[in-house]
Amino acid sequence: MLNRQNQQNQFDKIRKIENRVTTKERIEALFNYQKPDRVPIGYQGIPIRTPGLKERFPNFTLASNYNDPETTFYVSLWVAKQYSWDLIPHAFAHTILGGWDFGGEIQMPRGEYQDSLSIKSYPVKTESDVWNLKMPDPKTAGGIPMAMKFAKLQEKHGFLIGFFTRSPFCVASNICGLDLFGRWMIKKPELCHKLLRMATDHIFNVLQYWVDTFGAEKILFMMSSPSESNQVISPKQFKKFAFPYHVEIQNKLRSIGVRRFYFHICGEQNLNLPYLAELSSLWVHPSILSFGHEVDLEIAGKYFPKDIIFGNIEPVVFQSGTPEQVYELCKVALEKGKKLPGGFILAPGCGLPPLSSPDNLYAMTKAVNDFGWYN
Amino acid sequence: MTSEERTREILKGLYDAVVEYDEEAAVKWSKKALEEGIDAYTAITQGLAAGMEKVGELYANYEYFVPELLSCADALYAGLEVLRPHVKVKQVETKAKIVLGVIEGDIHDIGKNLVKIMFDAAGWVVYDLGKDVKLEKFVEEQQRTSAEVVGISSLMSTTMLAMPKVIKMIKKQNPNVVVMVGGAPLNLEIAKQYGADGYAKNAGEAVKEAVRLVNMKKKDSVHAK
Repeated sequence: MLNRQNQQNQFDKIRKIENRVTTKERIEALFNYQKPDRVPIGYQGIPIRTPGLKERFPNFTLASNYNDPETTFYVSLWVAKQYSWDLIPHAFAHTILGGWDFGGEIQMPRGEYQDSLSIKSYPVKTESDVWNLKMPDPKTAGGIPMAMKFAKLQEKHGFLIGFFTRSPFCVASNICGLDLFGRWMIKKPELCHKLLRMATDHIFNVLQYWVDTFGAEKILFMMSSPSESNQVISPKQFKKFAFPYHVEIQNKLRSIGVRRFYFHICGEQNLNLPYLAELSSLWVHPSILSFGHEVDLEIAGKYFPKDIIFGNIEPVVFQSGTPEQVYELCKVALEKGKKLPGGFILAPGCGLPPLSSPDNLYAMTKAVNDFGWYN
Repeated sequence: MTSEERTREILKGLYDAVVEYDEEAAVKWSKKALEEGIDAYTAITQGLAAGMEKVGELYANYEYFVPELLSCADALYAGLEVLRPHVKVKQVETKAKIVLGVIEGDIHDIGKNLVKIMFDAAGWVVYDLGKDVKLEKFVEEQQRTSAEVVGISSLMSTTMLAMPKVIKMIKKQNPNVVVMVGGAPLNLEIAKQYGADGYAKNAGEAVKEAVRLVNMKKKDSVHAK
């Protein structure tokens, strides 16, 4: 049990986690269906309360995640080391965000409580805006130049190069806002498909820029799909509005030779799993499939036996829970995850709350040290 | 005098228009209700609002999703626009009131908007503060309106950290007000930890929970006397 009295001793013990291989070797083993030394711990963001972070990186703030790729890169390496995390997935925020890239007005995190970029004004507000919308420049739009700087640092340090996009559905709905997009899904689906077409083409254009710069074989194509969750749309709507563009994405990845795929299937997506399983016939195995706490790890493993399952500790527990709660959740996840046929990475089930308690994060590392080793 | 059968037909027309998210039909049946002398308040509560209650159920049961809910709300508001001016003042005086808003630093308002729709449909008076609402504004608006309930939404794990502070501020001014919280990173346990009176998992459940909590407060205050 962890408590504050013996915290220092515990931390020292945790830091003694003796990695028998490097992160690179550990992840490569997973991609080759081999058991690594231990279950890897996935990277899901920078916890700013990490002891020593402020002293070492005084200029780092929550906004740095969106406007300072260089500092963010080095902070991420340092933070990962503190908790024995494996730097996968690793990218500078999202390379592609619909609203920003297509000309919307954004706001950097500010004030006491905000932790992420937000859209103040969407580029599309009316039907005619859709028809007049222009394709963004794939090299200069939104945060793309900063993501490229981060990617060059990844190349310099010999990492897989992250290209992180939202799914076409999420990018498209972020161009006009989910409220309006949802209404158009019912009343004017042709507008949705027009935005989806542009969103998909934009993703391809930027991906081509990455491929031209680094080569397809070095790229980890990462995608997240929060707006496709069944908290928002039905499985039928997923099939109609999201699925066809996922098919295009997979075909494109194959045609240009990008073989490493990470997919964060965000939130409550249990009803979409049959369609996603159908889609999985198109992607290269093993891919990394990341799930939230809403999808049970064993169920994920049944639907995707050839893929590496990533997740699925409820993120808010790292902020509001106790080390004991985190430790217990991780223990259960490790017991299930180690049996998964395609491999397993333990991680928060979505972005890590930046104000997560270090004690709770050490508890995750401790759980891996106690239960995560393969024989 | 409209026959009972015709009244039922019109009320069903209003109900179906909302459930089938048909704005034109909602307007058409609302006009018919007025033309044929059906009380506007009855048409709202037993037609449009009853339809929206059904929509809430369908949403909670994963039969309807956000796009349907938003479209049903469009039909509801289209009908309300026709009927509301004809509701007699007496009928609206006793309505419960709620102050709603997305907490400071957070601009994700789709959940709050869905909750607003459900309270509107249930006949509550909603004071919608919008998104990225300063903490003091919740307190001021509750005091200005004497709302029985304050509903605070958050989608981000950092912004939810402002909740205990604002709940304390609200309760300090008025310990009897019911404070409810909601949003993706929250759950009942955290809501309690933060000092909230209630939590609802989704928009469909929010109204029921608010009614339950307000009634409980009323009973408590009667006992206290």
